[in-house]
This record gives sequence, structure tokens and C-alpha cells, in this order.
Amino acid sequence: MANAIDRRPGRLGRFLRSLLLPVAAILIALAIGAVAMWAFGDDPLVAYRGLWSGAFGDARALARTVRKMVPLIFTGLSVAVAFKAGLFNIGAAGQFLMGTVAATAVGISFPGMPAPLHVSLALLAGVVGGLVWGLIPGLLKVYTGAHEVIVTIMLNYVAALLAGWTVYAGGTEGQSPGPLWDPTARAVSESPDILESARLPLFFDPAYRLHAGVLLALAVVVFIWWLIYRTTIGFEIRTVGLNLKAARYAGMRVAWTVVFTMGIAGILAGLAGAIETLGVNWKFAPEFGGQVGFDGITVALLGQTHPFGIVLAAFLFGALDAGAARMQFESGVAQDIIQVIQALVLAFVAAPTLIRLLFRMEAEEFEVTTISQTWGGGSG
Amino acid sequence: MSRKRLFFLMALLTLLALVLAACPAPAAPTAPAQEQEAAAPAEEAAEPLAEFKVGLVTDVGRINDRSFNQSAWEGVLLGAEQLGLPEDNVKYIETVDSKDYADNIQQFIDAGYDVIVTVGFALGDATVEAAKANPGVYFIGVDQFQAEALPNVAGLIFHEDQAGFLAGVLAAHLSETDIIAAVLGTDLVPPVVAFKEGYENGARYIKPDITTISTYHPGGLDVAFTDPEWGAATARQALDQGADVIFGAGGITGNGALQEVAAAAQAGQRVYCIGVDTDQWYTLPAAQPCLVSSAMKLITPAVADLIGMAFQGEFPGGNYYGEVGLAPFHDFEDDVPQEVKDQLQEIKQGLLEGTIDTGYNP
Repeated sequence: MANAIDRRPGRLGRFLRSLLLPVAAILIALAIGAVAMWAFGDDPLVAYRGLWSGAFGDARALARTVRKMVPLIFTGLSVAVAFKAGLFNIGAAGQFLMGTVAATAVGISFPGMPAPLHVSLALLAGVVGGLVWGLIPGLLKVYTGAHEVIVTIMLNYVAALLAGWTVYAGGTEGQSPGPLWDPTARAVSESPDILESARLPLFFDPAYRLHAGVLLALAVVVFIWWLIYRTTIGFEIRTVGLNLKAARYAGMRVAWTVVFTMGIAGILAGLAGAIETLGVNWKFAPEFGGQVGFDGITVALLGQTHPFGIVLAAFLFGALDAGAARMQFESGVAQDIIQVIQALVLAFVAAPTLIRLLFRMEAEEFEVTTISQTWGGGSG
Repeated sequence: MSRKRLFFLMALLTLLALVLAACPAPAAPTAPAQEQEAAAPAEEAAEPLAEFKVGLVTDVGRINDRSFNQSAWEGVLLGAEQLGLPEDNVKYIETVDSKDYADNIQQFIDAGYDVIVTVGFALGDATVEAAKANPGVYFIGVDQFQAEALPNVAGLIFHEDQAGFLAGVLAAHLSETDIIAAVLGTDLVPPVVAFKEGYENGARYIKPDITTISTYHPGGLDVAFTDPEWGAATARQALDQGADVIFGAGGITGNGALQEVAAAAQAGQRVYCIGVDTDQWYTLPAAQPCLVSSAMKLITPAVADLIGMAFQGEFPGGNYYGEVGLAPFHDFEDDVPQEVKDQLQEIKQGLLEGTIDTGYNP
């Protein structure tokens, strides 16, 4: 142990080292993306310039990037918190949808309620929706041993179908429509717009559609950082993740920790859904689930499962999504290239982990520093 | 410990495989087929012409989807060509996520575009909102019914009943059994009902006693247009009941019907099928063995015309009805007698002038 601590690089060195892998992954992915564009006869420079100006070029572009970043922060945190306890939450997509549906249900009800109360209640509904969907795999794991990967994947389908049903427009053979369906939408399956009083306040120019969820996201990031690294329960979560047997031997409540962690993960993804509904969409339609649940996995890995790293990773992915349309506009390159780049980033970030697991490498610096941090954090 | 690692590893691998599989192939060359040859040499570009820009936002999907997105984009290209716009003045953005409609429209507004074409019913709300905020920009909303007319939005819609009527006339002439059929998407969608009513009334216009077997898909919007198996089974049933002309109007469901009829035609049966929306000879080559024509909504020329009108400053706000018609007969040119072709022409004229009524009243 002492030997390991001696070899430990300084604080700045460790920080730079932790940046190495993600930055390399991004650069390689962008380079391969450029080669792909070039191979199809497009000019990658024009495309990337368009991507840049669409993501950062002016105030509106920057607002778009930030708006796209917000749900990714939450789903990224959701996956990362579970990772800390050694759990693989692939269910952020389903938890997101349950949060969305719950927030929509509250958002379209209670006319005349004061705005602060209505917004809070709708957010709370999103929290509860995500919480329920996170607790199910947690409880199943603890009581039946069902693996959370399988359960969360299956619950994603359940959530998608359930959410779709709530706004189902009904069929010709008398199938009744879903409870949240908007009759004025006729054959279209969607909810009514949520009431004004349930919408998150907008900043600056309303045309920027930049909502208060941004502040909430940053606050939650700090809270999760505090929870994981500065509290006893956070210490337990990390210990369970690092060494289950040691945690049990040390008398920690392992089962309780697993359920608690999945609950937190569910809450985070559910909040993402609620905030997207109350801040951006103002209604629910089945196709609003989108990619953010799965992108959360990439964001969590790219951010090295650290809350602050996740903010950076979410910002990058938000920028890629925000700039895609301008990129196509400027260069004619199809926006699918963005998904290719994002998938490559995931591949390169996940690959070292994979290789380490494959060859059972001891990966000294990584694990030892983590453990020593743990003790430092736990006693502090 | 090792078991846990193995689990984690397998989970990661599965995840990677999922993500990579979900990932579409890298950007296909996106320049859509621009088939119109330069019919007339581009007119001399007038001074303001160099500044006139036209943008298009697709519904979720590709610009070369062989359907509405592509037809509308070809309309933009045609309109630009007719005006003699420089190539760089027309651009498109493909929508990947339905949450981005407003953002994508805004890209063109920010870039100072004069005309923005938005394709598909789903973009209706975003289009009207953008139009209200930008009265100086013209919007063409393909397939977007305008409940209230704005001076700078033209909702391009079609008399589907007239297209169906022409298909019905053709079907009645071709049928020897005097039994024809239609395999349709759901009646939840008004245009589908219009196609059906027009088709039946068109057939009766020729043969008042003809038997028509029209079947709507029983499911909701989520499946009604994406159920080729049901379409094929329904077409098979109609063939068994003696129908020898079948009209398929309902997206992929209708395509399933057309393909079933094509299989029967290939087996030597004397049967025809009629497609819908675009010339399905090109969009569904598998139906060629039976495809005598298609009941088309002519999106391309209508978009081109509207762009021209916007340039002239004579933009028609509100609903704008595009032309409908039958697609060319292709390989079946000889199966359709000249008298029938002439009569179809007359009836089309009559429908346009209002002397013939399709009998469809929404």
C-alpha cells in the first residue's frame, strides 16, 4: 500500500491522466468520422466547421447545446451512480419514460394551481415515476438474484409500451384511448400540452428555449458528487461496487445499498424525463423517448463515472447533437455520421475496460488510487 | 469476483453490439436523384435571384425516402431550376428527432432563407409557429391542412378522392370479373377514407353494378400502415373472391397487398394492382408484374409552383390543392385501350372543373 501511494502521481497529474483516455477516444472517433466522410466524397473540414458553428457559433447555438446537454447529465449520472455500486443500469431509457409520463400526467392536470407548486409537483411525479422503475430491478436483484442488466433491458420495453398506451389514440374496433391522450389530436397519439403553470421558467430570449432545468442539473451534479464522495452511504455504495465480500465482511448493508442505489439511478433518469417534458416538449408523444437513455451509458463511461466528468461528456454529446443539423446544412453530410462518431467514442472508452477485464490486468494505478481515495473520502 | 467480471464483460459486449448494430451505415451519399433533365435552359439570373434561397426540412427520415420527403425535395430542385437559382441556394436538413422540428426550421430562418418547405403532417405546428414569428418568410407545408389561413403559409394538400376516383375508373375498365378490391390503411386518417370513397364511386361511374371489396386495417395508427402481412392476406382473400384489380392504399400495408397480387400475376393469373401516393413502379419494383398505375399526389410540381409564386410575390396563403393524377402505365400501356386513356383524361378535366363529383363529402 505504502509503495503504491509513493508511486501515486500528484493531484494535477492524476487529473490529466484521467483526461487522457476520453480525449483520445474523442479525437480518434472524430478522425475516423472524417475518414468516412472523405471516403464518401464529402469535405470533413466543411462538415466539422458546420458542426462547430451549429453547436457554439452564436448564442442560439450555444443555448441549443446546453438544452441538449441537460437530459444527458441526468441519464449519465443515473448510469454512473449504479456503476459505483457495481450495477449496470441499462434501464435509464425506461426510467426516463416513466418520469416523462408521470410529469405529463401532473402537468396537464390541476388548472389554476400556482406555478411554483405545480412545477414542483410535476417534478416530484417524475422523481416517483423514475424511482419505481429503478427500484424494481434493485429489489429483484436483492430478493431473487435476477441480474439487473436483464431486468432493466426488459423494463425498457415495458416502459415504452406502457408510455405509448397512455396516449394511444384508440382504434377503429372500439379500443379505448389511453388516459393521457388528447382528443383534439384526432388520430395522432399524443398528450395535450401541459398547462402554463407547470412549465419550467425560460431564461434570456424565450426563443432560445433555455429552461431552469439547467440550474437544477448543475445542482444535482454537485449533490451526487457530495453523496458519493462525502457521505457514509456514498462510501458504502463505492465499497459494494469495489468489493462485495469486503463490504459484507465490514458489516455493510449490501442489499439495502443495492436497492438504494438503483432507486437513486431511477430518480435521476426520471428527473431527466420530467425536465424534458416541463422545459422543452410541453407534451408527451411515444417517440419522445429517444436516445438519451442509452446515450447516458456512453456519457457515464466517457465521463469516467465522475459527476464532473459527466458534465463535460454531456456537454460534448449535447454539442454533437446540437450541431448536427447545421453540419448537414453547411456540408450536405447526413447527420447519421454523428451517431457513428458517438458509437465510436463508446467503443474506444469501453475498450480499455474490456481489455483490462479480458486479460485480468491488475491496472495498478487505477484501482489503487481509487481505493486510497476511498479511505481518504470515508474518513473525511 | 471472476463471475462478476464475466457478467460485466458480457454486459458490455452485448451493449456494444447493440449500439453498433443500431448504428446506421455511414452517411450514404445524400445527393438525391435529380432526374429532371434541364428541360429549358436556365433563364438569365435576375439580380434578386442570386439572393433567393429555398430550404427544406424533412419529417423524420431520409431525403431519398422514395416518398414525400423525396418528392418535395425534387419539387424544390425543380422550382429552383425553373427560376434559375444558383445551386447553392437550395439546401435541406433531415430531421433525426421529432423534437428538433423547430430547431431545424430555425436554421434556415437564421441563414436568411426566403422559402422554407416542411414535409409532413407532423411538422404542422412547428411550421405555423415559425410562420407567425417570421412573417417575412414563406412556408410551404406539405400535407399540412391549415385550419386558419396565414398569408405566409401554404398548406399543400390534395384531393385524394379525385385520385381514387381515377383509379376506380381504370379498375372498372380493366376488370373482367366485375369484382374489384381495395386494401386500405385505417379509416382514422381522412385521406385514406377519401381514397376509398373516390375509388368505389369512380368504379361505379363506369359500371354501376360492379362489386367492390374494400377493407380497412382494423388496428390503430401505430400498425395500420406498417402491416404488410395483413395487407397480403387481405389481398389474397379478395383474389379468392374473384377480384381481379386491387388498389393498395395504406403505406407498407398496401405494399404488402400489391406484392401479393404481383405474385399471383407472376403465377399466370390475369390480375392488376394499383399503387398510391407516388409512382410505385419506382418505389416498389416488386409490384411491377401487376402494377398498371398509381393514384398519385403530384407533390413535386406543386412545390415547384409554390416556390415560383413565392418568388413572384403572389404566394397563396392558406390551403393549396396540388394536382392529383394517375401514374404512367409503364409495361401495361397496351392493356389500357386508347378510349379508356382518353376518357380518363376527360374525367380528370371534369373533376378539376367540378362537372364530375367524386361523391366524397368529408
